Amino acid sequence: MIQVKGLTKIFKKVEAVKNVSFTVEKGTVFGLLGENGAGKTTTLRILATMLKPTSGTASIDGTDLLVDPEEVRSKIGILFGGETGLYDRLTARENIKYFGLLNGMSKEEVSRRINELSDILDMQEYIDRRAGKFSKGMKQKVSIARSIVHNPEIMLFDEPTSGLDVTAVRMVHDFIKRLKDQGKTIIFSSHSMNEVEKLCDVVGVIHKGKIIEVSTVKNLREKYNNMELEDIFVELVGDKNV
Amino acid sequence: MFNKYTWIVLKKELTDIFRDKKTIITSILIPILVFPILAFVIGSSTDQFLGQNNNPVDMALISEEENKLEEFLKANDNVNIIEVENPQEALKELDIKVILKIDKGFDERIERGEAGNIEFIYDITSSRSDMAQSRLNGIIGEFSHSITLSKLEELGISSQILNPINIEKTILENQQADQGIGLMILSIILPLMLTVWSAVGGMAAATDLGVGEKERQTLEPLLTTKASRLSLLMGKYFAVVVAGILGTLAALTGFGIASEINPNFTGSGVTMPIQSIIAIGILCIGLALIFSALELTISFYARSFKEAQTYLSPMTIIVMIPAYFTMYLDGKEIPDLFLHIPIINTISIIKESIVGVFNIEHILIVAGWTIVYIGLALFFTVRMFNKESVIFRS
Ligand SMILES: Nc1ncnc2c1ncn2[C@@H]1O[C@H](COP(=O)(O)OP(=O)(O)OP(=O)(O)O)[C@@H](O)[C@H]1O
Ligand SMILES: [Mg+2]
Repeated sequence: MIQVKGLTKIFKKVEAVKNVSFTVEKGTVFGLLGENGAGKTTTLRILATMLKPTSGTASIDGTDLLVDPEEVRSKIGILFGGETGLYDRLTARENIKYFGLLNGMSKEEVSRRINELSDILDMQEYIDRRAGKFSKGMKQKVSIARSIVHNPEIMLFDEPTSGLDVTAVRMVHDFIKRLKDQGKTIIFSSHSMNEVEKLCDVVGVIHKGKIIEVSTVKNLREKYNNMELEDIFVELVGDKNV
Repeated sequence: MFNKYTWIVLKKELTDIFRDKKTIITSILIPILVFPILAFVIGSSTDQFLGQNNNPVDMALISEEENKLEEFLKANDNVNIIEVENPQEALKELDIKVILKIDKGFDERIERGEAGNIEFIYDITSSRSDMAQSRLNGIIGEFSHSITLSKLEELGISSQILNPINIEKTILENQQADQGIGLMILSIILPLMLTVWSAVGGMAAATDLGVGEKERQTLEPLLTTKASRLSLLMGKYFAVVVAGILGTLAALTGFGIASEINPNFTGSGVTMPIQSIIAIGILCIGLALIFSALELTISFYARSFKEAQTYLSPMTIIVMIPAYFTMYLDGKEIPDLFLHIPIINTISIIKESIVGVFNIEHILIVAGWTIVYIGLALFFTVRMFNKESVIFRS
C-alpha cells in the first residue's frame, strides 16, 4: 500500500508538486494522469526517494520514505519512459545483474531471476549480447527486467510507453497487466486518457502540481454523465484554469 | 565508506571502463608509448648531433694568395674545403656550412707581430652553420695558439706564462662523472610525469562515470536501487582512482622501456632508496585520490559530455603549471613553502629522493597535506552528488 500525505516540492521558484495526497491500495493500479509539466515525474521521483520533498511525506508498505529511504528503495521498482539508458558495453545479462546486486540480491538469486525474466520477456536470443546495438524495443525489455529484477511489491511507471512503437507499447501494457495479476501495487503515470482507462483501477488527475480529482474510472464516468474520458479530462483541467 | 555496494559498483565500472577501446588507448597505450618514442627521438637526434661533430666541417675558402692558415686547414682532417663557384649561394643551400675569408697580407701581418685578419660568413638561422663556424673557430684557435707558442719561444719565454693557474676538478665520492646529465633529465621528467599522470590519469574515466552516466540516462535507475548514494559514489570514485593509478603505472612502464632503448634517457648510476620509492608511490596515489575527486565533481556538475570536457581540459594545464614551475628545482634545496602546495610538494619529495635525500619530516608534512586535500576534495564531491539541482539538471 502507498500512502501519500501532503507532498509538496518546490524547486527554487517552481512549485512542482503542491500538497498532493492519495492512497493506492495493495494490488491496484493507480493512474497518475496529467499534462506535460503537471508534476508526475517529480511525484514519482519523490516516492522513489530520489528527491526529498519540501514538505509532506509518503509511506510505502508502512515504511516512511523520510525515515528509511533504503528500505523503501528495496521495496520499489521504477521504470522511466523515453530514452532508455543501458550500459552499452555490458551485456543485457550484466546490465540486469548489476541492478539485482545493487538491490541486495545474492549472485545465485540474481542469476536464477535473470533466467526467469529472460523467458518471460523473451530475451534469450540477446541476453548475452552487449546492449550497445539493441533496438528500442529490446532496450525497453532489458529496462523492464532491470526494474523488476528484485521482484518488488510496488512498481512505479513514469510514462513507460512514450516514444515506443505499437508493438512495444502493447508489450509494456501486457506486462503491467501481468504484474497486476500477480497482486503488485502499481502507480502508472501518463498523459493519455486511453492508456489510463485501459490499465488503471483508480485515476488521479494532476494539474499544475495539484491533484484535482481522485476516483475510479467508473465513478468518473458516472459523475460526468458518461462523457468520454478525454472530455472529462478537458473539463476538469479547464475548470481549474478559470 | 566502503561497503558491499561500493565493491559492486567498483567492479562493474572497471569492467565497463576497460571494455572501452578509447579509454584503453588514452589511459594505458599512450602512456606506455610516449616515453619510448621520446627516448628514441632524443636518442637519434643526439646521435645526429654527435655525428655532426665528428664529420669534418664543410667550408669554402676565399683567399687571394697562399698563406700558412690555408696550409694548416688543408692539412687538418676536421676541415673539408670545398671548391664552389658561388660561395654565398652554396652557403644558402647549406652545401657548405661556413665561408672563411682570409685577408691579403695575412702572413706578413702576423710576421710583423700584428693580428692577421680573417672573416667568417655563416647562416645564423641554421644551427648546423652556426655550429660549423664555432668549430672552425676552435680549429683556428689551435693555429693561433701554435703561433703564440712559437713567438714566445723566439722571445725565450716559457709557455707556462699562459697558464698561471692549474685547475683540478673532483666530484664527490660515490658519484660518476657521467651521472650529471642523466640525473638532470631524470629529475626533470620523472616528477613531471609521475605527478601529471597521477593527477589527470583518471580524467577519461571520471567523465564517463559522472556526466556519461547522466547523459546515458542510467543515473536515475541507479539512484533507485537499495544502495545508498554514498556507496554508489564511492564505488565510482575508487574506479576513477584505479584508472588514474593504472595510467601512472603504464607511464612508468613506458619510462622503463625508454631507458632500455636509450640509456642516456635516465642516466646511469641513479639509485633511489627503497623507502623513497615507497613514499613516492603513496604520495602519487594521494594525488590520484585528490584529483579523481575533483574530476568526478566537475563531471557530475556538467550537463553534457562536451561541457565536462570543456571544464576538464584546462585542468591538465593547471596541473602542468606547478610541474613546469619546479622543473629546475634542486632536490637539495627545497624551500619549506613548497611542502604545503599540492603537486609541488609531491614533486619536491620526488626531487629529493632522486638526489638521494630521504627526509622523513618532509614526507610526513606532504602526506599530512595530501590527506587534508583528499578530505576537502571528497567533501565537494559528496556535496555535489547529493545536490538535487545538479543531478537532475537538464
Ligand atoms: N530539477 C528541477 N529543477 C527545477 N524545476 C524542475 C525540476 N524538475 C522539474 N521541474 C519543474 O517542475 C514542474 C513539474 O515537472 P515534472 O517533470 O514533474 O512534470 P511531468 O508531469 O513529469 O511532465 P512531463 O509530462 O513533461 O514529463 C515543471 O514545471 C518542471 O519544469
Ligand atoms: Mg515526466
